[in-house]
Amino acid sequence: MEKDGRPNWDSPMQFVLACVSYAVGLGNVWRFPYLCQLHGGGGFLIPYLIMLLLEGLPLFYMELAIGQKMRLGSIGAWTSISPYLGGLGLASVVTSLYLCLYYNVINAWSFWYLFHSFQSVLPWGVCPINSNRTGPTEECEVATPTQYFFYRETLNISSSIEEHGGIHTGQALCLVLAWAITYLFIVRGVKSTGKVVYFTATFPYLVLFIYLIRGVTLYGAINGLKYMFTPKMAELANPRAWINAATQIFFSLGLGFGSLIAFASYNQYNNNFQNQAIVVSLINSGTSIFASIVTFAIYGFKATLNYEDCLDRMRILLLNTFDLAEDAISMDSVLEWIEKLNTTYPEQFAQIADKVREGECNLEKELDTAVEGTGLAFIVYSEAIKNMPLPQLWSVLYFFMLLLLGIGSMLGNVTAIITPLRDLKIMSRMSNELFSGLVCVFCLLLGLGFTTTSGNYWFTIFNDYAATFSLLFIVLIEVIAVSYIYGIKRFEKDIEDMLGHRPNWYWKIMWAVTSPLLLIGLFIFYIISYIQGGTPTYQAWNKELGESVVTEYPVFGQVFIVLLLVSSVSCVPLTALYAFCRKRKERAYEKRPSPVSTVSV
Amino acid sequence: MIAYADFKIESLAYFSKKMPNHVRWVLQQIKSRIERLNALFRPVMHYNCSAHHEGTNMTEEASNISSDTAAYPWSKNEMFLFRAALAFAMRDYTNGEEFGVSDIHPCDETERVSFWFVVTRPNTTDLVDKGTVEMAIKKSRNRINGAFLLTDQTLEFDGIYPTLAAPVSPATPPWLIVFGVVMGAVSVGIIALLVYPLVQRKLKKNKDADDEDSDEETGVKTAEIGANDGIYNSMFSDDERFTQM
Repeated sequence: MEKDGRPNWDSPMQFVLACVSYAVGLGNVWRFPYLCQLHGGGGFLIPYLIMLLLEGLPLFYMELAIGQKMRLGSIGAWTSISPYLGGLGLASVVTSLYLCLYYNVINAWSFWYLFHSFQSVLPWGVCPINSNRTGPTEECEVATPTQYFFYRETLNISSSIEEHGGIHTGQALCLVLAWAITYLFIVRGVKSTGKVVYFTATFPYLVLFIYLIRGVTLYGAINGLKYMFTPKMAELANPRAWINAATQIFFSLGLGFGSLIAFASYNQYNNNFQNQAIVVSLINSGTSIFASIVTFAIYGFKATLNYEDCLDRMRILLLNTFDLAEDAISMDSVLEWIEKLNTTYPEQFAQIADKVREGECNLEKELDTAVEGTGLAFIVYSEAIKNMPLPQLWSVLYFFMLLLLGIGSMLGNVTAIITPLRDLKIMSRMSNELFSGLVCVFCLLLGLGFTTTSGNYWFTIFNDYAATFSLLFIVLIEVIAVSYIYGIKRFEKDIEDMLGHRPNWYWKIMWAVTSPLLLIGLFIFYIISYIQGGTPTYQAWNKELGESVVTEYPVFGQVFIVLLLVSSVSCVPLTALYAFCRKRKERAYEKRPSPVSTVSV
Repeated sequence: MIAYADFKIESLAYFSKKMPNHVRWVLQQIKSRIERLNALFRPVMHYNCSAHHEGTNMTEEASNISSDTAAYPWSKNEMFLFRAALAFAMRDYTNGEEFGVSDIHPCDETERVSFWFVVTRPNTTDLVDKGTVEMAIKKSRNRINGAFLLTDQTLEFDGIYPTLAAPVSPATPPWLIVFGVVMGAVSVGIIALLVYPLVQRKLKKNKDADDEDSDEETGVKTAEIGANDGIYNSMFSDDERFTQM
């Protein structure tokens, strides 16, 4: 314990691991490989690393410095910097609250899949049989078994956001478990969190390593790796690549939520956070690259498998139509045979010509299907896993890793809510454990809404809108506040006080010039794309077609999106206004002449 | 239906050399000469299935053997096994009618292991209707599959969909069991973490009480132990910290 009674990390290593565990999350696994694939494979690393230097590192350093100096959560820290800026901390807390509400639902899904891996036949590998016992259920036939398992059995999804339904009890149970585990890990504050992060930060790397070995030895993995590593330099000319790189670095490091400030506030005053900031940022980016190698190996495997399945279907079709001997056509010669039969029996071929064209087998096309987000993690990966030998083992390992990544990030998110609220002293009468418990129960009850049949659509709203725009705004105000309102000179002195040396010119230029400009650019870009994008749309699952269709949000959905954005962003001006009014009242009160009355004794 | 046999090309050519003008007439008279011709020319006795394909009375079955890896080693012996298995299926379904191998007639064989076949009643040439044959095959599907060491997916009877095995549903879904284990462990962990410091504090209080009793008279009385046992004299206390104006 320090003199002021604030708990501390047991060692600087715990702090570093906590930051790594928080920053390395699901986005590294499911967003970065998608961006890599979208923007030309290996070439995407160039804008990614440049953005890391220009905005990732400086902003990360800045948040750690603020937290360690002020030794308070985000609300207290920003109020100390300037009383008008308390709203920044409040906005961070509100955004973290939204994040907590929906992020643990992903952990609930990971639990669901993990528990379902303990079966002899993985349930997403085969379609369930319909009531007549003549074949698979129709929905499963038009879609794939993995999609069916995700959309029907895991989510029991309705066909649009307007259709409500009951709570999926299995999901609700898993959500309760996810919150129980989160509570277990934060109940003692940094004392318990500090011990847990040893495991949550390191075990995913072990699993990723195992998957790397398994992945590159899979049949066809080399196709995926070749696809990833052939850089398409032309993509670099596309401004979207740079914007996506900037956004990815920004969200991947978890800036603006207040978690980094909260974690750093538990540091010793003289902790050398400069080196730690560099180390954590590099580990985060390295993990993204590592995870995308694994993902591309798996992509290659899955694409090759699909391609060969497609060839086999063509082969059977040709054999059936032309009644050839079984071994006349082999897998390699399917395409030649299509040519041959087209020329020798044109009329007969014309009958099946449509089918051949539809099911045209193309390896590039299979590799091109870039997927991100929950679709990648729960559908594409599950499909790849079910084809591996000993799929139960791989499935357990994979979902356990997803769970650790998710819970590691949750620890940071919940700490970002609890630390500033505790520092506000309004809750100081309650014990730590009770307060943490109340926050967890509150988030659990609201999170149950995401387990209803339309819950996944609300989840998508939160995922796409709750934290994206507001974070940009928050961090932009943060960096401007530190550089210009607080002043770089004062900030420098504070850092010298803590570390013993001033930050060099690289940091100062980034804080004062580059990062604000970059953030303003990103901010303007987001506003333009919101305005230009028209009505926001979402992917609704259509069970007759067995695929997702693009649907527009209804009016109440759009209103909700606006509310989400406004509620966190407006904290900043509203709190500034409130502080301004209070200051004016105080000043008016001081200026009033105090009544002096003498009492003659 | 009148059953008649076609000849293979060689036998036709032989006949045409001898009786060029009576070829068709000979072929149509064949019904009574089946036995003799069998012995002479070993013709392939098969029904002209193509005439039946377009018609609506479909008494044939098509069967396919497809395999995804190697070609199934088909031979005349395998065909014999097929006919025997079908004969068994017919006997089993009709409870004893003595179907034999000769009552199963494959036709339209192709390069691929795929052919049509018809079934006739024993000792007659009356065809058995499609519905009965289908029911018989459905009943003994597993046995027929087993005879060829194939599965429903690799041995296909056109038009007969396999009845899939009923899904095995255990009393408790297995995932619930794992969930229960993990939830129990987490609950125990939470309770332990919450209760442990209370227990520690109680133990410490008991230990302090014991220590207090042992060294009562020694040492300076600090505020915790006994300094507040004196008498409170209000003369010397500050009533108000600030003088009122």
